[in-house]
Amino acid sequence: MIRYIQESRLEELFRILSRRGPLYLPLAEGPSLSFRPWSEGAPVDLKTVNSTVSAKEIFLPREEAYFCYRRAGRELALEPLEQEAANAVAFGLRACDLRGLEMLDRVFKDQDPPDGLYLRRREQTAIVALACAEPAPYCFCSLFGIDPARAGGADLQAWWHGEGLCLKALTAAGEELLSSAGELLHEGPAGAEEPPRVETGNFGLKLEGLPAGLRERFDDPVWEELYRSCLGCGACTYICPTCYCFDLEDFGHQEKGERYRCWDSCMFREFTLMAGGHNPRPTRKERVRNRFLHKLQYYPERYGEIACTGCGRCLRSCPVDLNIVQVIRALGGESR
Amino acid sequence: MAQDNLNRDQATARIRAAVTQDLLSGRISLLLGWQKGLFWWRSRPLFARSQQDLERLVWDSFCAVNLSRYLPEELSIEERVGILVKGCDARAFHRLLQDRMLDRERVLLYGLPCPGMLDYRLLAEAGVKEAEQMLEEGEELVIQTGGGEERRPRTDFLLEKCRLCSHPDPVVYDQLLLPPGEPRMDPASRFQDLEARERPTPAERYAYWSGELQRCLSCYACRQVCPACSCRECFAEQQEPRWLGKGAGLNENMLFHIIRVYHGAGRCIECGECQRACPVGIPLLELSRRLAKDIEELYGPYEAGMDPEAPPPLLTYRPEDPAAFPEK
Amino acid sequence: MTAVNPLLPQKVTLQEIVAETPEIKTLRLASEKGIPFDFIPGQCAMISLPPVGEALFSITSSPGCREYLEFSIKKVGAVTRALHELEPGQQLGLRGPYGNGFPLEALRGKDLLFIGGGIGLAPLRSLINYCLERRGDFGGIDILYGARTPEDLIRREEIMERWPAAPDTRVYLTVDAPYPGWEGHVAFVPAYLSELAFSPENRIAITCGPPAMIKFVLKALEELNFAPEQVITTLEMRMKCGVGKCGRCNIGSLYVCRDGPVFTLAQLRQLPPEY
Repeated sequence: MIRYIQESRLEELFRILSRRGPLYLPLAEGPSLSFRPWSEGAPVDLKTVNSTVSAKEIFLPREEAYFCYRRAGRELALEPLEQEAANAVAFGLRACDLRGLEMLDRVFKDQDPPDGLYLRRREQTAIVALACAEPAPYCFCSLFGIDPARAGGADLQAWWHGEGLCLKALTAAGEELLSSAGELLHEGPAGAEEPPRVETGNFGLKLEGLPAGLRERFDDPVWEELYRSCLGCGACTYICPTCYCFDLEDFGHQEKGERYRCWDSCMFREFTLMAGGHNPRPTRKERVRNRFLHKLQYYPERYGEIACTGCGRCLRSCPVDLNIVQVIRALGGESR
Repeated sequence: MAQDNLNRDQATARIRAAVTQDLLSGRISLLLGWQKGLFWWRSRPLFARSQQDLERLVWDSFCAVNLSRYLPEELSIEERVGILVKGCDARAFHRLLQDRMLDRERVLLYGLPCPGMLDYRLLAEAGVKEAEQMLEEGEELVIQTGGGEERRPRTDFLLEKCRLCSHPDPVVYDQLLLPPGEPRMDPASRFQDLEARERPTPAERYAYWSGELQRCLSCYACRQVCPACSCRECFAEQQEPRWLGKGAGLNENMLFHIIRVYHGAGRCIECGECQRACPVGIPLLELSRRLAKDIEELYGPYEAGMDPEAPPPLLTYRPEDPAAFPEK
Repeated sequence: MTAVNPLLPQKVTLQEIVAETPEIKTLRLASEKGIPFDFIPGQCAMISLPPVGEALFSITSSPGCREYLEFSIKKVGAVTRALHELEPGQQLGLRGPYGNGFPLEALRGKDLLFIGGGIGLAPLRSLINYCLERRGDFGGIDILYGARTPEDLIRREEIMERWPAAPDTRVYLTVDAPYPGWEGHVAFVPAYLSELAFSPENRIAITCGPPAMIKFVLKALEELNFAPEQVITTLEMRMKCGVGKCGRCNIGSLYVCRDGPVFTLAQLRQLPPEY
C-alpha cells in the first residue's frame, strides 16, 4: 500500500516520528548537509542529492563513549555507559547510504564478534530511504548495480511525486511507521506505484579485472604518481559511506573519565605508528596505496564486494581532486 | 586585465612553452602546475617531469589549488623544482621560505598574475551546468541558460578567497609569464567586510563559532593545505603530552581551531585554502582574517608573506607594543 | 538479540610484577577465578589502564597455568611506561584472547626449533612450556635465545635451569658482544643459528624478535633449506580493537589481530611487504 504526504505537512510527520525516539534527517549546516537529530524548525533538506557526510554516522557515530572508569588508590571501577534511546528513525537515506550500511554490516554485524554498539543502533533504527529523482554530476552508483531510486534494506521507500512524498512500506517496521502517522497520510496517487527508474553515469569506468588484477600491482609505479598530490588529510575517509576505521581513546583524569570510540583515518601517519617508532606505512605513498587497495582488493577479498558505492562524495570533497574515479582510471579501469 | 577564453588558451600555450624549455634542458627536474580535474569546473595539481606530462598543463579559472605546499617534500627528492605561482601561491612561498622550509635557490618561480578563480557553486546557482554555457569575456561572464543569455561581472562568481584578494599578482617570481593585473582589494581596507559584521560580545562570538565548528570532522584538511602549517609534528598529533582528544566533539574542535589560528596569527597569508579545502564549508578564512585584523589593530598594518625579511609581528618585540594586561 | 560490546574489558588484579631487565617487567594478572579466560599459546590480550589507554600483549604464560596470566612487557611508550610503575594489588582492565595462536596440531610429533631475540621470547615461552607440559606429543626441542647483553635476557630461571633440564631439550644462549662476566656464546642470533646448522628434517622453526633479527633469521633458515611452510613467526602491529574491525592492523586483506599474529613464512610471502 502506498501512502502520500504533502510536502507542506512533513513537519507534522517529523513531529510524530520523533516521539518514538531520535529522528535523523539530512539537516543543512552552512553549505554542508549531514544526518543529524531533528528538532522543531531544523533546516531539513530532502531535495539535495546527496548529503555531504554519509548516513553512516547514524550507526557509527563520530564519537561514542562506551564505558566510564573510576580509580581510587589501586581500585578501578569500569561501568558500561547507558546507550542512548533506541527506536530511532533515519529518514532520507539514499541508495548509496544503504549500500554503505550493508558493507558496514559485514564487518560489525556478520563478522564475529558482533559489535554491540553498532548492532543496537542498526536493529533499533527504522530506515526511510529516499529515491533520487535525478543523479548529481558526481554520482556513479549505477556502476555498482545500485538503482538510485530503489534502496535495498530500507523499511520504507519514499519518493517525490508532485508536491509531496509517496511512502511505500517494505517491512513490518515500515508498516508500523505508516500507521503511526495515521490520518496525516493519504492514499498514494494513482499511477505512482513505484519510483521512476534512475540511472547514473559511470565516468566510463569498468570494473572487470578488479580485484584479482590488483594482486600483482602492489609495486606498480602508478602508485608513485597517484599519491603525490594527496594532502594526507582525512576528508575522503570521513565522508565516505564505506569507510569505518575507528580509534579507541581514554579521556579524563586519573580519578575518572571515559573511554570512547571515534572515527580514525588510515590517511594519517599515526594510524599505524607503533610505540618505539616503527611505522609499516611511513609515507603517503603507502597510505594512499593501502586505502585504495583496501577499497578495491582487500575488502572484496574478505567480504566479497568492492567497497565503493559510487556516491561521489570523494569527488566532491577532496581539496585536490584525488578520488576513486581517478584511481580506477589510473589502474586501467576505463573503457575507451 | 582578466583573461578571457581565447586568451586563456594562448596563455596556457605561452606558459607551457616557457616551462618546457626549462624542463627539457634540465634546469628543473619537476614542474608543479595544474591539469584538468575530473570535472570541467576543477583543476588539480600536475607533477610534470616530461614533455608528455606538460601536455596536460592548463591555466584556467579553476586553478585554485595552492601548489607551494608541495615544495618542501618535492625538494627532498628533486634537485630543482619549477612552480607556477599565482598571487596567493607566491605569498605561500614566502611563508615557507620565512619558516625555513625550503631553499630559494632550488626553486624556479613562474609568476602568473591571477584574475581570480571561479566558484562552481555560484555558477551552478546561476544555472550553469556545462562548460559550454559559460564564456569568459574580459571582466564579464556570458552565461547561457534556459532563460536566455546573461552578462554578469566575473567578480560575482569568484571564490570568496579570490574576491577578498589584495595581491593577485605574485610578489616574488623568477619569470613573470603573463601581464600584471589589477588588485581587487586595497590592502588597507581589506577588513571592511569584517567590520560590517562585527559580533561585539563574547557570547555572540561564541554562539556563532560553536555553531560553525560543531560540524568540524577533524579531518585536518585545513591544516594539510595550509602553507603556514608545516610543523613536522602538529600539536594535535602529539601523544606525550596529549593536548587534544581525537574525537570530533565541539570542545576538541574549538580547541584545535583556536590553537591553529593562533599559531598562524601574524603568519597567515589569508590565502583561504583552509576554507576551500574544508569538506563541510566552515568559514575558516573569516576566523583567520579576524585574527589578522586584530594583529593590525595591535601592531600596525602588516601582511604576511609579502616581505620575507620582515619578521612576523608576534616574533618581534618593540617597547611600544600594547601591554598584555590592563595597567592599573 | 543485541550483542554485547566486545570492546568492554573485565577487571583483573595485578598479583605480582617482576623486573627482568632494566626495560622489561613480567606482570601476573588474575581475576577472582584465576585465569580470566582460556587461550592457546600465541594468543594475546588487551590490557587497559585508564586514562593512559589500552595495548595488546602476547600472553607469555602457558594455558597450563590456571592461577594467573603472565605478560612480559617492554617499556616503549605511554601505556607500557605506566604499567611498569604499577604495584601489586592494582586493578586493571583486560579483554581477550585475541589472535590465532600457534598451529598446535601442525607441530605435533615434530622437532621444534625456537629462535628468540630479546622480548621476542615472550610469546615463544607460552608455547615452549605448553610443549613441555605434554612432552610426549612433540619431538626434540631446541631453543636458541639471544639478547644484546646478558642483562637483557629474560626468564633466566627457565632459560638457564628449568629448560636445559627438561627431557630431549637443549638451550643455546648468546649475546651480541663480549660482556664482563659472560662466559657463554657471543654472536648475533642469526649467525649462531647458521653456525648450529639445524637440519630441517621433520622440524618446524618458530621465531620472534626485533624486525632486524627476524629478517636475518628467515634468511638463515632459508639457507639451511627450511621450506616456507616450516617457518612460523609472530608479528607485531599497532592494534586497537583486537577483533579485526578498526581497520588499522591489516597486512593486505589479513588482520594481524585476527588472522595473525602467528603466520607461516609461506603465508607472509603471499602478503604485501608492509609490516
